[in-house]
Amino acid sequence: MAALAPSPAAAAAGTKSAASAAMPLVRIADVEKVYGGRQGPVRAVASASLDVARGEFVSLLGPSGCGKSTLLMMIAGLERPTRGAISLDGSPVVTPRRDIGIIFQDATLLPWKTVEENVLFPVRILKLPVERYRERARELLAMVGLDGFLRHKPAQLSGGMRQRVAICRALIHDPAILLMDEPFSALDAITRDQMNVTLSEIMERTGKTVIFVTHSIREAAFLSDRVVVMGGRPSRIILDEPMPFGRPRRLDIEETPAFGQMVRRLRLTIEEGHGGAMSGRTGGGE
Amino acid sequence: MANAIGTETGAMVATPAAEPGAGLSNARAILLPIGLALLALGLWQAACVIGHIPPVILPSPLSTFRYIGERWDILLTHAIPTTVESALGFVLASVLGIALAVVITYSRLAREALYPNLVFFQLIPKIALAPLFIIWLGIGTQSRVAFSVFIAFFPVVIATSAGFASVDRGMLRLCRSLTATERQIFLHVRFPAALPYIFSGMKVAVTLAIIGVIIGEFITAQAGLGYLIIFATARADTEVSMAAIVVLCLCGLLLYGLVALGEAVANRIYAAEAS
Ligand SMILES: Nc1ncnc2c1ncn2[C@@H]1O[C@H](COP(=O)(O)OP(=O)(O)OP(=O)(O)O)[C@@H](O)[C@H]1O
Ligand SMILES: [Mg+2]
Repeated sequence: MAALAPSPAAAAAGTKSAASAAMPLVRIADVEKVYGGRQGPVRAVASASLDVARGEFVSLLGPSGCGKSTLLMMIAGLERPTRGAISLDGSPVVTPRRDIGIIFQDATLLPWKTVEENVLFPVRILKLPVERYRERARELLAMVGLDGFLRHKPAQLSGGMRQRVAICRALIHDPAILLMDEPFSALDAITRDQMNVTLSEIMERTGKTVIFVTHSIREAAFLSDRVVVMGGRPSRIILDEPMPFGRPRRLDIEETPAFGQMVRRLRLTIEEGHGGAMSGRTGGGE
Repeated sequence: MANAIGTETGAMVATPAAEPGAGLSNARAILLPIGLALLALGLWQAACVIGHIPPVILPSPLSTFRYIGERWDILLTHAIPTTVESALGFVLASVLGIALAVVITYSRLAREALYPNLVFFQLIPKIALAPLFIIWLGIGTQSRVAFSVFIAFFPVVIATSAGFASVDRGMLRLCRSLTATERQIFLHVRFPAALPYIFSGMKVAVTLAIIGVIIGEFITAQAGLGYLIIFATARADTEVSMAAIVVLCLCGLLLYGLVALGEAVANRIYAAEAS
Protein backbone atom coordinates (compact mmCIF):
# COMPACT_ATOMS: atom_id res chain seq x y z
CA MET A 1 0.00 0.00 0.00
CA ALA A 2 1.41 3.33 -1.02
CA ALA A 3 1.81 6.01 1.61
CA LEU A 4 -0.81 8.72 1.49
CA ALA A 5 0.30 12.00 -0.04
CA PRO A 6 0.61 14.66 2.64
CA SER A 7 -1.96 17.40 2.54
CA PRO A 8 -0.78 20.51 0.69
CA ALA A 9 -0.96 22.44 3.94
CA ALA A 10 1.24 19.99 5.81
CA ALA A 11 3.75 19.97 2.98
CA ALA A 12 3.88 23.75 3.04
CA ALA A 13 4.16 24.06 6.80
CA GLY A 14 7.00 21.58 7.04
CA THR A 15 7.34 19.15 9.92
CA LYS A 16 5.76 20.10 13.21
CA SER A 17 8.13 21.02 16.01
CA ALA A 18 9.80 17.98 17.50
CA ALA A 19 9.57 19.43 20.98
CA SER A 20 5.77 19.14 21.05
CA ALA A 21 6.01 15.43 20.28
CA ALA A 22 6.68 14.57 23.91
CA MET A 23 3.68 16.55 25.14
CA PRO A 24 0.22 14.98 25.00
CA LEU A 25 -1.74 16.16 21.99
CA VAL A 26 -4.92 16.50 24.02
CA ARG A 27 -4.93 17.44 27.68
CA ILE A 28 -8.23 17.38 29.52
CA ALA A 29 -7.79 18.75 33.02
CA ASP A 30 -10.56 18.24 35.57
CA VAL A 31 -13.36 19.15 33.23
CA GLU A 32 -16.97 19.47 34.34
CA LYS A 33 -20.04 20.17 32.22
CA VAL A 34 -23.40 21.24 33.57
CA TYR A 35 -26.16 21.90 31.08
CA GLY A 36 -28.78 24.45 32.04
CA GLY A 37 -31.93 22.55 31.19
CA ARG A 38 -35.60 23.41 31.65
CA GLN A 39 -36.04 20.88 34.42
CA GLY A 40 -33.01 22.16 36.28
CA PRO A 41 -29.31 21.84 35.58
CA VAL A 42 -28.00 18.52 34.25
CA ARG A 43 -24.51 17.55 35.27
CA ALA A 44 -23.43 15.62 32.19
CA VAL A 45 -19.79 15.23 33.20
CA ALA A 46 -18.79 15.62 36.84
CA SER A 47 -15.04 15.42 36.45
CA ALA A 48 -12.83 14.13 33.70
CA SER A 49 -9.08 14.27 33.33
CA LEU A 50 -7.42 12.61 30.40
CA ASP A 51 -4.29 12.93 28.30
CA VAL A 52 -4.13 11.59 24.78
CA ALA A 53 -0.76 11.19 23.16
CA ARG A 54 -0.02 11.91 19.52
CA GLY A 55 -0.92 8.92 17.37
CA GLU A 56 -2.94 7.27 20.11
CA PHE A 57 -6.37 5.70 19.58
CA VAL A 58 -8.52 6.23 22.66
CA SER A 59 -12.10 5.04 23.06
CA LEU A 60 -14.66 6.55 25.41
CA LEU A 61 -16.94 3.77 26.52
CA GLY A 62 -19.97 3.86 28.78
CA PRO A 63 -23.72 3.55 29.07
CA SER A 64 -26.12 5.91 27.37
CA GLY A 65 -26.26 9.36 28.97
CA CYS A 66 -22.92 9.13 30.75
CA GLY A 67 -21.58 12.20 28.95
CA LYS A 68 -19.40 10.68 26.24
CA SER A 69 -20.74 12.93 23.49
CA THR A 70 -20.57 15.90 25.83
CA LEU A 71 -16.88 15.29 26.49
CA LEU A 72 -16.22 14.86 22.77
CA MET A 73 -18.11 18.07 21.91
CA MET A 74 -16.03 19.94 24.46
CA ILE A 75 -12.84 18.64 22.85
CA ALA A 76 -14.21 19.81 19.51
CA GLY A 77 -14.88 23.27 20.95
CA LEU A 78 -18.60 22.89 20.25
CA GLU A 79 -19.45 22.99 23.99
CA ARG A 80 -17.67 25.00 26.69
CA PRO A 81 -16.67 23.20 29.89
CA THR A 82 -18.32 24.57 33.02
CA ARG A 83 -15.06 24.05 34.89
CA GLY A 84 -11.58 22.87 33.94
CA ALA A 85 -9.72 23.27 30.68
CA ILE A 86 -8.98 21.39 27.50
CA SER A 87 -5.96 22.00 25.36
CA LEU A 88 -5.14 20.64 21.96
CA ASP A 89 -1.61 20.73 20.61
CA GLY A 90 -0.57 23.11 23.37
CA SER A 91 -3.29 25.70 22.90
CA PRO A 92 -6.57 25.93 24.80
CA VAL A 93 -9.78 24.85 23.09
CA VAL A 94 -12.44 27.51 23.50
CA THR A 95 -14.15 27.55 20.12
CA PRO A 96 -14.20 25.17 17.15
CA ARG A 97 -10.90 25.07 15.35
CA ARG A 98 -9.54 23.97 12.01
CA ASP A 99 -7.26 21.22 13.20
CA ILE A 100 -9.94 18.70 14.14
CA GLY A 101 -11.95 16.28 12.04
CA ILE A 102 -15.36 15.10 13.25
CA ILE A 103 -17.49 12.10 12.37
CA PHE A 104 -20.98 11.60 13.75
CA GLN A 105 -23.33 8.66 13.89
CA ASP A 106 -24.98 9.80 10.66
CA ALA A 107 -22.71 10.52 7.74
CA THR A 108 -24.43 13.93 7.19
CA LEU A 109 -23.36 14.20 3.57
CA LEU A 110 -24.76 16.86 1.26
CA PRO A 111 -27.21 14.87 -0.88
CA TRP A 112 -26.88 17.13 -3.92
CA LYS A 113 -23.11 16.78 -4.10
CA THR A 114 -21.02 13.95 -5.48
CA VAL A 115 -18.91 11.78 -3.19
CA GLU A 116 -15.75 13.62 -4.26
CA GLU A 117 -17.29 17.04 -3.64
CA ASN A 118 -18.55 15.95 -0.23
CA VAL A 119 -15.01 14.96 0.71
CA LEU A 120 -13.81 18.38 -0.47
CA PHE A 121 -16.44 20.21 1.60
CA PRO A 122 -14.09 21.16 4.49
CA VAL A 123 -11.55 22.43 1.96
CA ARG A 124 -14.14 24.86 0.61
CA ILE A 125 -15.27 25.95 4.07
CA LEU A 126 -11.68 26.48 5.18
CA LYS A 127 -10.99 28.38 1.92
CA LEU A 128 -8.08 26.14 1.00
CA PRO A 129 -7.13 25.69 -2.66
CA VAL A 130 -9.61 23.06 -3.86
CA GLU A 131 -7.68 21.87 -6.90
CA ARG A 132 -4.62 21.10 -4.82
CA TYR A 133 -6.67 18.91 -2.51
CA ARG A 134 -8.50 17.01 -5.23
CA GLU A 135 -5.75 14.43 -5.59
CA ARG A 136 -5.69 13.87 -1.85
CA ALA A 137 -9.48 13.42 -1.85
CA ARG A 138 -9.15 10.72 -4.50
CA GLU A 139 -6.36 8.99 -2.59
CA LEU A 140 -8.40 8.96 0.60
CA LEU A 141 -11.40 7.55 -1.25
CA ALA A 142 -9.18 4.90 -2.84
CA MET A 143 -7.86 4.03 0.61
CA VAL A 144 -11.38 3.17 1.79
CA GLY A 145 -12.18 1.33 -1.45
CA LEU A 146 -14.43 3.98 -2.97
CA ASP A 147 -12.29 4.93 -5.98
CA GLY A 148 -15.05 3.82 -8.33
CA PHE A 149 -17.62 6.09 -6.71
CA LEU A 150 -16.23 9.61 -7.07
CA ARG A 151 -19.18 10.78 -9.17
CA HIS A 152 -21.89 8.98 -7.23
CA LYS A 153 -24.41 10.80 -5.08
CA PRO A 154 -24.78 9.79 -1.41
CA ALA A 155 -28.22 8.30 -2.06
CA GLN A 156 -26.60 5.73 -4.35
CA LEU A 157 -24.35 4.43 -1.56
CA SER A 158 -24.93 2.00 1.28
CA GLY A 159 -24.73 3.18 4.90
CA GLY A 160 -21.22 1.78 5.31
CA MET A 161 -20.02 3.48 2.15
CA ARG A 162 -21.52 6.80 3.25
CA GLN A 163 -19.73 6.53 6.57
CA ARG A 164 -16.46 5.87 4.72
CA VAL A 165 -17.04 9.06 2.72
CA ALA A 166 -17.52 10.88 6.03
CA ILE A 167 -14.19 9.50 7.26
CA CYS A 168 -12.44 10.77 4.14
CA ARG A 169 -14.12 14.15 4.60
CA ALA A 170 -12.88 14.32 8.19
CA LEU A 171 -9.32 13.52 7.05
CA ILE A 172 -9.15 15.77 3.97
CA HIS A 173 -7.65 18.82 5.68
CA ASP A 174 -5.21 16.65 7.62
CA PRO A 175 -6.49 17.54 11.10
CA ALA A 176 -4.35 16.86 14.16
CA ILE A 177 -7.07 14.69 15.66
CA LEU A 178 -10.12 12.73 14.60
CA LEU A 179 -13.16 12.82 16.88
CA MET A 180 -15.70 10.08 16.21
CA ASP A 181 -19.07 9.88 17.96
CA GLU A 182 -20.53 6.40 17.54
CA PRO A 183 -19.69 6.46 13.85
CA PHE A 184 -20.72 2.88 13.18
CA SER A 185 -23.64 2.34 15.51
CA ALA A 186 -26.21 2.83 12.75
CA LEU A 187 -24.63 0.01 10.72
CA ASP A 188 -25.43 -3.69 10.71
CA ALA A 189 -23.05 -6.02 12.54
CA ILE A 190 -21.26 -7.34 9.46
CA THR A 191 -20.69 -3.90 7.94
CA ARG A 192 -19.61 -2.67 11.35
CA ASP A 193 -16.91 -5.34 11.57
CA GLN A 194 -15.71 -4.36 8.09
CA MET A 195 -15.64 -0.71 9.07
CA ASN A 196 -13.64 -1.50 12.18
CA VAL A 197 -11.02 -3.26 10.08
CA THR A 198 -11.01 -0.41 7.57
CA LEU A 199 -10.61 2.15 10.33
CA SER A 200 -7.78 0.29 11.98
CA GLU A 201 -6.03 0.11 8.59
CA ILE A 202 -6.51 3.83 8.08
CA MET A 203 -5.00 4.52 11.48
CA GLU A 204 -2.04 2.27 10.81
CA ARG A 205 -1.41 4.17 7.61
CA THR A 206 -2.05 7.75 8.63
CA GLY A 207 -0.94 7.55 12.26
CA LYS A 208 -3.78 9.89 13.22
CA THR A 209 -4.78 10.51 16.80
CA VAL A 210 -8.35 9.38 17.40
CA ILE A 211 -10.90 9.78 20.17
CA PHE A 212 -13.69 7.35 19.52
CA VAL A 213 -17.03 7.22 21.36
CA THR A 214 -18.86 3.93 21.39
CA HIS A 215 -21.37 1.76 23.24
CA SER A 216 -19.74 -1.40 22.02
CA ILE A 217 -17.20 -2.99 24.34
CA ARG A 218 -15.80 -5.25 21.63
CA GLU A 219 -15.44 -2.39 19.20
CA ALA A 220 -13.59 -0.30 21.78
CA ALA A 221 -11.27 -3.14 22.71
CA PHE A 222 -10.56 -4.03 19.10
CA LEU A 223 -9.77 -0.53 17.88
CA SER A 224 -8.10 1.19 20.81
CA ASP A 225 -4.69 1.65 22.31
CA ARG A 226 -6.54 2.72 25.46
CA VAL A 227 -10.14 2.39 26.57
CA VAL A 228 -11.56 5.01 28.92
CA VAL A 229 -14.73 3.93 30.69
CA MET A 230 -17.14 6.61 31.87
CA GLY A 231 -19.95 6.03 34.30
CA GLY A 232 -21.15 6.48 37.83
CA ARG A 233 -23.46 9.12 39.16
CA PRO A 234 -22.60 11.88 38.60
CA SER A 235 -20.61 10.69 35.63
CA ARG A 236 -16.83 10.54 35.70
CA ILE A 237 -13.98 8.49 34.30
CA ILE A 238 -13.93 5.19 36.16
CA LEU A 239 -11.31 3.26 34.24
CA ASP A 240 -8.42 4.08 31.90
CA GLU A 241 -7.04 0.84 30.53
CA PRO A 242 -4.38 0.17 27.88
CA MET A 243 -5.27 -2.55 25.35
CA PRO A 244 -2.34 -4.95 25.24
CA PHE A 245 -2.90 -6.19 21.69
CA GLY A 246 -0.32 -5.77 18.95
CA ARG A 247 -0.78 -4.09 15.60
CA PRO A 248 -1.69 -4.57 12.84
CA ARG A 249 -4.93 -5.84 14.31
CA ARG A 250 -7.41 -7.94 12.42
CA LEU A 251 -10.67 -9.46 13.54
CA ASP A 252 -9.03 -12.76 14.54
CA ILE A 253 -7.67 -11.20 17.75
CA GLU A 254 -11.26 -11.19 18.97
CA GLU A 255 -11.01 -14.98 19.28
CA THR A 256 -7.99 -14.88 21.61
CA PRO A 257 -8.50 -15.54 25.35
CA ALA A 258 -6.71 -12.27 26.23
CA PHE A 259 -9.29 -10.33 24.21
CA GLY A 260 -12.16 -12.20 25.86
CA GLN A 261 -10.76 -11.43 29.31
CA MET A 262 -10.35 -7.76 28.48
CA VAL A 263 -13.93 -7.49 27.19
CA ARG A 264 -15.16 -9.14 30.36
CA ARG A 265 -13.15 -6.80 32.55
CA LEU A 266 -14.52 -3.75 30.75
CA ARG A 267 -18.05 -5.07 30.97
CA LEU A 268 -17.79 -5.64 34.72
CA THR A 269 -16.42 -2.13 35.20
CA ILE A 270 -19.31 -0.65 33.26
CA GLU A 271 -21.85 -2.65 35.24
CA GLU A 272 -20.27 -1.59 38.53
CA GLY A 273 -20.37 2.07 37.59
CA HIS A 274 -23.86 1.78 36.22
CA GLY A 275 -25.71 1.86 39.52
CA GLY A 276 -29.11 2.16 37.88
CA ALA A 277 -28.86 5.87 37.14
CA MET A 278 -28.13 7.21 33.68
CA SER A 279 -27.45 10.82 34.42
CA GLY A 280 -26.43 12.87 37.39
CA ARG A 281 -28.51 15.87 38.42
CA THR A 282 -26.81 18.42 40.55
CA GLY A 283 -28.28 18.32 44.00
CA GLY A 284 -29.69 14.86 43.42
CA GLY A 285 -28.98 12.13 45.95
CA GLU A 286 -25.82 10.15 45.42
CA MET B 1 -9.30 -4.90 3.25
CA ALA B 2 -9.64 -5.54 -0.46
CA ASN B 3 -11.85 -8.45 0.44
CA ALA B 4 -14.09 -6.78 2.93
CA ILE B 5 -14.66 -3.76 0.76
CA GLY B 6 -14.83 -5.68 -2.51
CA THR B 7 -17.96 -7.55 -1.51
CA GLU B 8 -19.95 -4.50 -0.62
CA THR B 9 -18.72 -2.56 -3.62
CA GLY B 10 -19.67 -5.40 -5.95
CA ALA B 11 -23.15 -5.57 -4.55
CA MET B 12 -23.67 -1.86 -4.96
CA VAL B 13 -22.60 -1.44 -8.56
CA ALA B 14 -25.82 -2.82 -10.01
CA THR B 15 -28.19 -0.53 -8.14
CA PRO B 16 -27.93 2.87 -9.85
CA ALA B 17 -28.53 1.37 -13.34
CA ALA B 18 -31.94 2.06 -14.87
CA GLU B 19 -34.41 -0.80 -14.86
CA PRO B 20 -35.28 -2.32 -18.20
CA GLY B 21 -38.70 -1.23 -19.40
CA ALA B 22 -38.29 2.22 -17.84
CA GLY B 23 -38.59 3.80 -21.31
CA LEU B 24 -41.88 2.06 -21.87
CA SER B 25 -43.41 3.21 -18.61
CA ASN B 26 -42.18 6.76 -19.39
CA ALA B 27 -44.08 6.72 -22.67
CA ARG B 28 -47.11 5.46 -20.81
CA ALA B 29 -46.86 8.29 -18.30
CA ILE B 30 -46.98 10.80 -21.15
CA LEU B 31 -49.47 9.12 -23.47
CA LEU B 32 -52.14 8.29 -20.90
CA PRO B 33 -52.93 11.84 -19.73
CA ILE B 34 -52.72 13.21 -23.28
CA GLY B 35 -55.06 10.48 -24.47
CA LEU B 36 -57.56 11.28 -21.73
CA ALA B 37 -57.45 14.99 -22.52
CA LEU B 38 -58.03 14.33 -26.22
CA LEU B 39 -60.92 12.04 -25.35
CA ALA B 40 -62.51 14.78 -23.22
CA LEU B 41 -62.10 17.32 -26.05
CA GLY B 42 -63.66 14.80 -28.46
CA LEU B 43 -66.68 14.30 -26.20
CA TRP B 44 -67.04 18.06 -25.79
CA GLN B 45 -66.93 18.52 -29.56
CA ALA B 46 -69.44 15.70 -30.07
CA ALA B 47 -71.75 17.14 -27.45
CA CYS B 48 -71.71 20.56 -29.13
CA VAL B 49 -72.36 19.12 -32.59
CA ILE B 50 -74.81 16.35 -31.78
CA GLY B 51 -76.55 18.19 -28.95
CA HIS B 52 -76.85 21.41 -30.99
CA ILE B 53 -75.54 23.46 -28.08
CA PRO B 54 -75.51 27.11 -29.17
CA PRO B 55 -72.01 28.66 -29.21
CA VAL B 56 -73.18 31.38 -26.81
CA ILE B 57 -73.63 28.73 -24.15
CA LEU B 58 -70.64 26.54 -25.01
CA PRO B 59 -68.43 27.02 -28.07
CA SER B 60 -66.96 23.77 -29.38
CA PRO B 61 -63.21 23.11 -29.12
CA LEU B 62 -62.81 23.28 -32.88
CA SER B 63 -64.53 26.64 -33.22
CA THR B 64 -62.48 27.97 -30.30
CA PHE B 65 -59.24 26.85 -31.93
CA ARG B 66 -60.43 28.28 -35.23
CA TYR B 67 -61.06 31.62 -33.54
CA ILE B 68 -57.61 31.54 -31.96
CA GLY B 69 -56.09 30.79 -35.34
CA GLU B 70 -57.94 33.69 -36.99
CA ARG B 71 -57.66 36.36 -34.30
CA TRP B 72 -54.32 35.47 -32.69
CA ASP B 73 -53.18 39.08 -33.16
CA ILE B 74 -55.91 40.44 -30.87
CA LEU B 75 -55.40 37.66 -28.36
CA LEU B 76 -51.68 38.31 -28.35
CA THR B 77 -52.08 42.04 -27.66
CA HIS B 78 -54.14 41.09 -24.61
CA ALA B 79 -51.92 38.18 -23.56
CA ILE B 80 -48.77 40.29 -23.37
CA PRO B 81 -49.78 42.68 -20.55
CA THR B 82 -51.32 39.82 -18.57
CA THR B 83 -48.21 37.68 -18.89
CA VAL B 84 -45.80 40.52 -18.17
CA GLU B 85 -47.72 41.67 -15.09
CA SER B 86 -48.05 38.08 -13.83
CA ALA B 87 -44.34 37.47 -14.32
CA LEU B 88 -43.53 40.70 -12.52
CA GLY B 89 -45.88 39.84 -9.66
CA PHE B 90 -44.40 36.37 -9.44
CA VAL B 91 -40.78 37.55 -9.40
CA LEU B 92 -41.50 40.19 -6.75
CA ALA B 93 -43.47 37.67 -4.68
CA SER B 94 -40.59 35.20 -4.87
CA VAL B 95 -37.97 37.76 -3.90
CA LEU B 96 -40.11 39.11 -1.07
CA GLY B 97 -41.03 35.58 0.07
CA ILE B 98 -37.43 34.35 0.15
CA ALA B 99 -36.23 37.54 1.85
CA LEU B 100 -38.91 37.22 4.55
CA ALA B 101 -37.97 33.56 5.02
CA VAL B 102 -34.34 34.56 5.54
CA VAL B 103 -35.40 37.12 8.14
CA ILE B 104 -37.68 34.60 9.86
CA THR B 105 -34.89 32.02 9.88
CA TYR B 106 -32.19 34.25 11.29
CA SER B 107 -34.07 36.55 13.62
CA ARG B 108 -35.90 35.01 16.50
CA LEU B 109 -37.67 38.30 17.18
CA ALA B 110 -38.91 38.47 13.59
CA ARG B 111 -39.94 34.83 13.68
CA GLU B 112 -41.98 35.25 16.83
CA ALA B 113 -43.52 38.56 15.83
CA LEU B 114 -44.02 38.01 12.12
CA TYR B 115 -44.85 34.38 11.59
CA PRO B 116 -48.16 34.19 13.47
CA ASN B 117 -49.29 37.33 11.67
CA LEU B 118 -48.41 35.86 8.32
CA VAL B 119 -50.42 32.77 9.11
CA PHE B 120 -53.33 34.89 10.28
CA PHE B 121 -53.11 36.92 7.08
CA GLN B 122 -53.35 33.73 5.12
CA LEU B 123 -56.77 33.08 6.65
CA ILE B 124 -58.20 36.24 5.07
CA PRO B 125 -59.93 35.52 1.76
CA LYS B 126 -57.51 37.86 0.08
CA ILE B 127 -59.48 38.18 -3.13
CA ALA B 128 -61.94 40.30 -1.14
CA LEU B 129 -59.23 42.93 -0.78
CA ALA B 130 -58.72 43.43 -4.51
CA PRO B 131 -60.94 46.52 -4.75
CA LEU B 132 -58.96 48.17 -1.95
CA PHE B 133 -55.79 47.90 -3.99
CA ILE B 134 -57.49 49.96 -6.65
CA ILE B 135 -58.38 52.62 -4.13
CA TRP B 136 -54.82 52.65 -2.84
CA LEU B 137 -52.84 52.29 -6.03
CA GLY B 138 -55.15 53.33 -8.84
CA ILE B 139 -56.17 51.40 -11.89
CA GLY B 140 -52.74 51.00 -13.45
CA THR B 141 -50.27 48.16 -13.65
CA GLN B 142 -48.95 48.85 -10.17
CA SER B 143 -52.20 47.96 -8.40
CA ARG B 144 -52.56 44.68 -10.31
CA VAL B 145 -48.93 43.71 -9.72
CA ALA B 146 -49.14 44.68 -6.06
CA PHE B 147 -52.28 42.58 -5.63
CA SER B 148 -50.63 39.70 -7.46
CA VAL B 149 -47.62 39.90 -5.11
CA PHE B 150 -49.98 40.13 -2.16
CA ILE B 151 -51.69 36.84 -2.89
CA ALA B 152 -48.65 34.98 -4.26
CA PHE B 153 -45.83 35.59 -1.76
CA PHE B 154 -47.22 33.60 1.14
CA PRO B 155 -46.54 30.06 -0.13
CA VAL B 156 -42.97 31.12 -0.93
CA VAL B 157 -42.38 32.34 2.64
CA ILE B 158 -43.79 29.19 4.18
CA ALA B 159 -42.05 26.74 1.85
CA THR B 160 -38.72 28.57 1.99
CA SER B 161 -38.59 28.86 5.76
CA ALA B 162 -39.51 25.18 6.02
CA GLY B 163 -36.65 24.50 3.62
CA PHE B 164 -34.15 26.54 5.64
CA ALA B 165 -35.25 24.71 8.77
CA SER B 166 -35.01 21.31 7.09
CA VAL B 167 -31.23 21.26 7.32
CA ASP B 168 -29.94 18.34 9.33
CA ARG B 169 -28.72 19.39 12.78
CA GLY B 170 -25.71 17.14 12.42
CA MET B 171 -24.75 18.96 9.26
CA LEU B 172 -24.94 22.30 11.07
CA ARG B 173 -22.80 20.94 13.87
CA LEU B 174 -20.27 19.72 11.34
CA CYS B 175 -20.17 23.17 9.77
CA ARG B 176 -19.65 24.82 13.13
CA SER B 177 -16.88 22.37 13.96
CA LEU B 178 -15.19 23.46 10.73
CA THR B 179 -15.39 27.11 11.84
CA ALA B 180 -17.85 27.90 9.06
CA THR B 181 -19.40 31.37 9.15
CA GLU B 182 -23.19 31.86 9.04
CA ARG B 183 -22.75 33.15 5.53
CA GLN B 184 -20.88 30.02 4.46
CA ILE B 185 -23.47 27.79 6.10
CA PHE B 186 -26.21 29.64 4.25
CA LEU B 187 -24.52 29.51 0.87
CA HIS B 188 -23.16 25.96 1.07
CA VAL B 189 -25.83 24.20 3.07
CA ARG B 190 -29.06 25.99 3.93
CA PHE B 191 -29.85 27.53 0.59
CA PRO B 192 -29.13 24.48 -1.58
CA ALA B 193 -30.97 22.25 0.91
CA ALA B 194 -33.98 24.58 0.69
CA LEU B 195 -34.05 24.69 -3.12
CA PRO B 196 -36.64 21.93 -3.60
CA TYR B 197 -38.85 23.67 -1.02
CA ILE B 198 -38.34 27.08 -2.59
CA PHE B 199 -39.29 25.83 -6.02
CA SER B 200 -42.36 24.01 -4.79
CA GLY B 201 -43.45 27.28 -3.16
CA MET B 202 -42.69 29.17 -6.35
CA LYS B 203 -44.75 26.74 -8.42
CA VAL B 204 -47.77 27.53 -6.28
CA ALA B 205 -46.91 31.23 -6.37
CA VAL B 206 -46.78 31.39 -10.14
CA THR B 207 -50.42 30.30 -10.52
CA LEU B 208 -51.51 32.61 -7.70
CA ALA B 209 -49.68 35.52 -9.36
CA ILE B 210 -51.69 34.97 -12.53
CA ILE B 211 -54.92 34.77 -10.58
CA GLY B 212 -54.06 38.07 -8.91
CA VAL B 213 -53.50 39.83 -12.22
CA ILE B 214 -56.67 38.39 -13.79
CA ILE B 215 -58.76 39.55 -10.86
CA GLY B 216 -57.21 42.98 -11.17
CA GLU B 217 -58.06 43.01 -14.84
CA PHE B 218 -61.64 41.92 -14.14
CA ILE B 219 -62.06 45.02 -12.04
CA THR B 220 -60.09 47.72 -13.76
CA ALA B 221 -58.20 47.05 -16.90
CA GLN B 222 -58.61 48.32 -20.44
CA ALA B 223 -56.41 45.52 -21.73
CA GLY B 224 -55.32 42.01 -20.79
CA LEU B 225 -56.93 38.60 -21.00
CA GLY B 226 -58.98 39.19 -17.86
CA TYR B 227 -60.40 42.31 -19.43
CA LEU B 228 -61.08 40.44 -22.67
CA ILE B 229 -62.93 37.67 -20.83
CA ILE B 230 -65.15 40.10 -18.93
CA PHE B 231 -65.72 42.31 -21.98
CA ALA B 232 -66.59 39.41 -24.29
CA THR B 233 -68.82 37.71 -21.73
CA ALA B 234 -70.77 40.93 -21.22
CA ARG B 235 -71.49 40.96 -24.96
CA ALA B 236 -72.37 37.25 -24.97
CA ASP B 237 -69.32 36.63 -27.14
CA THR B 238 -68.60 33.33 -25.44
CA GLU B 239 -66.32 32.13 -28.19
CA VAL B 240 -63.96 35.04 -27.53
CA SER B 241 -64.03 34.35 -23.79
CA MET B 242 -63.26 30.73 -24.37
CA ALA B 243 -60.40 31.59 -26.70
CA ALA B 244 -59.01 34.06 -24.12
CA ILE B 245 -59.21 31.36 -21.44
CA VAL B 246 -57.31 28.91 -23.64
CA VAL B 247 -54.62 31.53 -24.28
CA LEU B 248 -54.49 32.25 -20.55
CA CYS B 249 -53.84 28.56 -19.90
CA LEU B 250 -50.96 28.70 -22.38
CA CYS B 251 -49.52 31.77 -20.62
CA GLY B 252 -49.77 29.93 -17.31
CA LEU B 253 -48.04 26.90 -18.78
CA LEU B 254 -45.30 29.13 -20.14
CA LEU B 255 -44.62 30.74 -16.76
CA TYR B 256 -44.79 27.40 -14.96
CA GLY B 257 -42.40 25.94 -17.52
CA LEU B 258 -39.95 28.77 -16.88
CA VAL B 259 -40.03 28.03 -13.14
CA ALA B 260 -39.45 24.32 -13.79
CA LEU B 261 -36.58 25.26 -16.10
CA GLY B 262 -35.15 27.51 -13.39
CA GLU B 263 -35.31 24.61 -10.98
CA ALA B 264 -33.44 22.32 -13.35
CA VAL B 265 -30.76 24.98 -13.87
CA ALA B 266 -30.41 25.64 -10.13
CA ASN B 267 -30.10 21.92 -9.40
CA ARG B 268 -27.44 21.59 -12.05
CA ILE B 269 -25.48 24.51 -10.65
CA TYR B 270 -25.54 23.15 -7.12
CA ALA B 271 -24.72 19.59 -8.15
CA ALA B 272 -21.74 20.88 -10.09
CA GLU B 273 -18.29 21.38 -8.68
CA ALA B 274 -18.54 25.06 -7.88
CA SER B 275 -20.04 26.71 -4.79
N1 LIG C 1 -27.61 20.24 24.93
C1 LIG C 1 -27.98 19.66 26.09
N2 LIG C 1 -28.77 20.31 26.96
C2 LIG C 1 -29.13 19.74 28.12
N3 LIG C 1 -28.77 18.52 28.51
C3 LIG C 1 -27.99 17.80 27.69
C4 LIG C 1 -27.56 18.32 26.43
N4 LIG C 1 -26.81 17.39 25.80
C5 LIG C 1 -26.77 16.34 26.64
N5 LIG C 1 -27.47 16.56 27.76
C6 LIG C 1 -27.61 15.66 28.90
O1 LIG C 1 -26.33 15.34 29.35
C7 LIG C 1 -26.23 13.97 29.68
C8 LIG C 1 -25.12 13.34 28.88
O2 LIG C 1 -25.46 13.36 27.52
P1 LIG C 1 -24.48 12.84 26.39
O3 LIG C 1 -25.18 13.00 25.10
O4 LIG C 1 -23.15 13.45 26.52
O5 LIG C 1 -24.39 11.29 26.76
P2 LIG C 1 -23.78 10.09 25.91
O6 LIG C 1 -22.88 9.35 26.80
O7 LIG C 1 -23.21 10.58 24.65
O8 LIG C 1 -25.07 9.23 25.64
P3 LIG C 1 -25.40 8.33 24.36
O9 LIG C 1 -24.56 7.12 24.50
O10 LIG C 1 -26.85 8.02 24.50
O11 LIG C 1 -25.08 9.13 23.14
C9 LIG C 1 -27.59 13.37 29.41
O12 LIG C 1 -28.28 13.31 30.64
C10 LIG C 1 -28.24 14.35 28.50
O13 LIG C 1 -29.63 14.37 28.70
MG1 LIG D 1 -23.71 10.33 22.57
